[in-house]
Amino acid sequence: MKRVGQPRHLRFAKALPVIAAAGALAAASAYASGGESAADERWWSPGEGRVFPEVLDYENEHGTLRTLLVGGPLDTEGHPFFEPISSNGRACVTCHQPADGMSLSAATARERWDATNGDDPLFAAYDGSNCPTLPQGERASHSLLLDRGLIRIQRQWPPAPRLGEEVVPDFTIEVVRDPNGCNSGAEYGPENGWISVYRRPRPIGNMKYLLAVGFNFDPKQGLALPRDPETGDYLSGNLMSDNRAFTLKEQMDDAGLTHLEMLRELTDDERDAIKAFEMSLFAAQQTGRGGAVDDGGAQGGPAVLRDAEPGELGSIGFPVWGEFAAWEEISEEDRARLTPEQVEFRQSVARGARVFRDRTFLVSDAAGVTTQMGFGNPFRVACKMCHNMTRMGNDVAPGQVDLGTTTLPFADHFGDLPLFRITCQNDPHPYYGREILTYDPGFALSTGRCADVGKITLQSMRGLAARAPYFSNGSAADLRAVVDYYERRYNIGYTEQEKQDLVNLMSVL
Amino acid sequence: MKRPLIAATMMLAPLSAQAQEVGEIVSFVSCPVYRDTDNGRKSGCWLVRDGESGKQWDVSQSPHKPNWDYAVFVEGRVADQGDEFCGAPVLEPVRTSRLLDHRCPRHMLPPEGYPGRVFIAPDRYLTSLANPPEFEGPFGPRTFYAFFEFDRDFLVYQYSDFIVQQAAYWIEAAQPRRLVVTGYAATDPIEVSGMELAESPEIAQSRAEVVVLALSRLLPGMEIETRWETGSQPIDVPDADTIPGQSQRRVEIAVEF
Repeated sequence: MKRVGQPRHLRFAKALPVIAAAGALAAASAYASGGESAADERWWSPGEGRVFPEVLDYENEHGTLRTLLVGGPLDTEGHPFFEPISSNGRACVTCHQPADGMSLSAATARERWDATNGDDPLFAAYDGSNCPTLPQGERASHSLLLDRGLIRIQRQWPPAPRLGEEVVPDFTIEVVRDPNGCNSGAEYGPENGWISVYRRPRPIGNMKYLLAVGFNFDPKQGLALPRDPETGDYLSGNLMSDNRAFTLKEQMDDAGLTHLEMLRELTDDERDAIKAFEMSLFAAQQTGRGGAVDDGGAQGGPAVLRDAEPGELGSIGFPVWGEFAAWEEISEEDRARLTPEQVEFRQSVARGARVFRDRTFLVSDAAGVTTQMGFGNPFRVACKMCHNMTRMGNDVAPGQVDLGTTTLPFADHFGDLPLFRITCQNDPHPYYGREILTYDPGFALSTGRCADVGKITLQSMRGLAARAPYFSNGSAADLRAVVDYYERRYNIGYTEQEKQDLVNLMSVL
Repeated sequence: MKRPLIAATMMLAPLSAQAQEVGEIVSFVSCPVYRDTDNGRKSGCWLVRDGESGKQWDVSQSPHKPNWDYAVFVEGRVADQGDEFCGAPVLEPVRTSRLLDHRCPRHMLPPEGYPGRVFIAPDRYLTSLANPPEFEGPFGPRTFYAFFEFDRDFLVYQYSDFIVQQAAYWIEAAQPRRLVVTGYAATDPIEVSGMELAESPEIAQSRAEVVVLALSRLLPGMEIETRWETGSQPIDVPDADTIPGQSQRRVEIAVEF
């Protein structure tokens, strides 16, 4: 390792004043339509040694995504987030691309496939293909990544110990269908101690919000929050889809040994450098169809995220998506300088925020919120009930909830995903019964509890415009598909206007 | 949460399904009906009909609300309120415990002109880490009581979780020598709506262990002894809200100096 961590971070802040100053005025736009060089610049390959600017903008179909790096710019040469520190040629940045809101869109994966004929470390056999046993180099063997942005996640079965306690599952799992071969055969599948599921990379950045703890109780589990054994801090439970890692350290170690296929553990210096970068990085949409999202009194964009306190519950503090309240009524002065389309779009965003907060619908059979915590089944709420953290839209409490996106009968049909049959050994699942068919048991793969099948951790709603498709299994191709899923799942009865307003809202986050 | 001023003698009121005087206890088992009123978040109504009296009650104020798939064991006091919110007279305070061995057909009523209740955050609302309560001495021996749904060990949101959280803050300030946590189960059978109800003996231990786990996370390093007892009897403490059955389903946290 040549150079690692915060010292370089600070040293190069002085060395690159031109970039920093330019970024403060008009951010370096690293995107231009068409052309090989533009695509190359948009994609961050491991080991390039590029400088990560303090302000970095990338266009997307909804506007511009901006990243802000506190204390930046950062010379990435030698930095473990950006360097290929293992033999498969990947780095963290491979699946956490700045242009994609620090996640990875399916469109970007396809662009990368086309640009390299599939010869990019992104398509590593281990988890960038549907299964390592398939012929690599063929597009069909990487279809889940290329079509829906899915990375293979291999979970230990039975689950690894959790919080120092052995996990004894209260359900059995069998493979009903294995279209990719990674849940059967001589090496894979529950009989060999491994279960493969396929999930979207979760965005890094805005991490102070995902690590924030507003209260010391988890109401969904009916327990006080666990604490980090090293620091004593309460743990948010909001980092990973199945909440298998409680801390950034655990998440990094998990990613290093799996996605990077490292044959050694990360060093403390490497972990510190990665953590420093992730905790300094904020990502959000900066412009949309209505212009800048921090214009006209609105408070969108990453600068507000950088400066705000995390962990605030919107119902008792700043309202969720109250950032756009100023757009409810556009001043005559603003109308004079905006196009009619921009005015209409801003008002649509403001209405969308209202719909998000106030338009109630009946939620039923959503394990995590309708089971034990006391709300009853069903109960009437709006989107903000679960997406309740001010400025971020994730859950202030640990956000493991079953929306049905991965589990039948609510999940959309996907013939290319493995299908598992869960059989509960003790009490049946409160809604699915004793036998459950699921594409991804989610949280249950961490806890071993039948009652947790299908629960997926709510994630940040920031930077959505840059990182389609959505939901943990990429089942929603675009923002409208997200709204449509909720409409189907809960028979909400949104008007066409409400649906479009919600889409427009999500496009500027 | 409202806490009517009911004398301790009310604890001795008969568990009669016919009792309809204000303040008297009503207790029965039946299938819940959801009325889909919309007065903002959590404004829906829960109605349950007492099969013996034929009377339907509004039980929406229970801290642990029904699941429309299962019968509920209702314990509540007749409130001095009309039916203007949900279309039935009100039990408050009230508890509804889900009986997962007794399935019910799902049934939902439209609002039919009833508004439901605007949700108001209850008094027992978890304290945020940014604003912890402050307790000042002198401190001495004290017992805290956390309460549970029938035959369950779950610390219900905005009720028993608050009690345990506040206890932990007090204990943290008091710095006692140790805690003794005792779980209780109401294992003596009672007859309700023609059914014999009794909690399982094992629930006493699991309740104690849940509270001990919570306290061990809130108060690292605290010495805690775990005990459990069956055959629980009613006690008169404020957080049971004058519901005798609720007071039996408890964990006691005894603070020793």
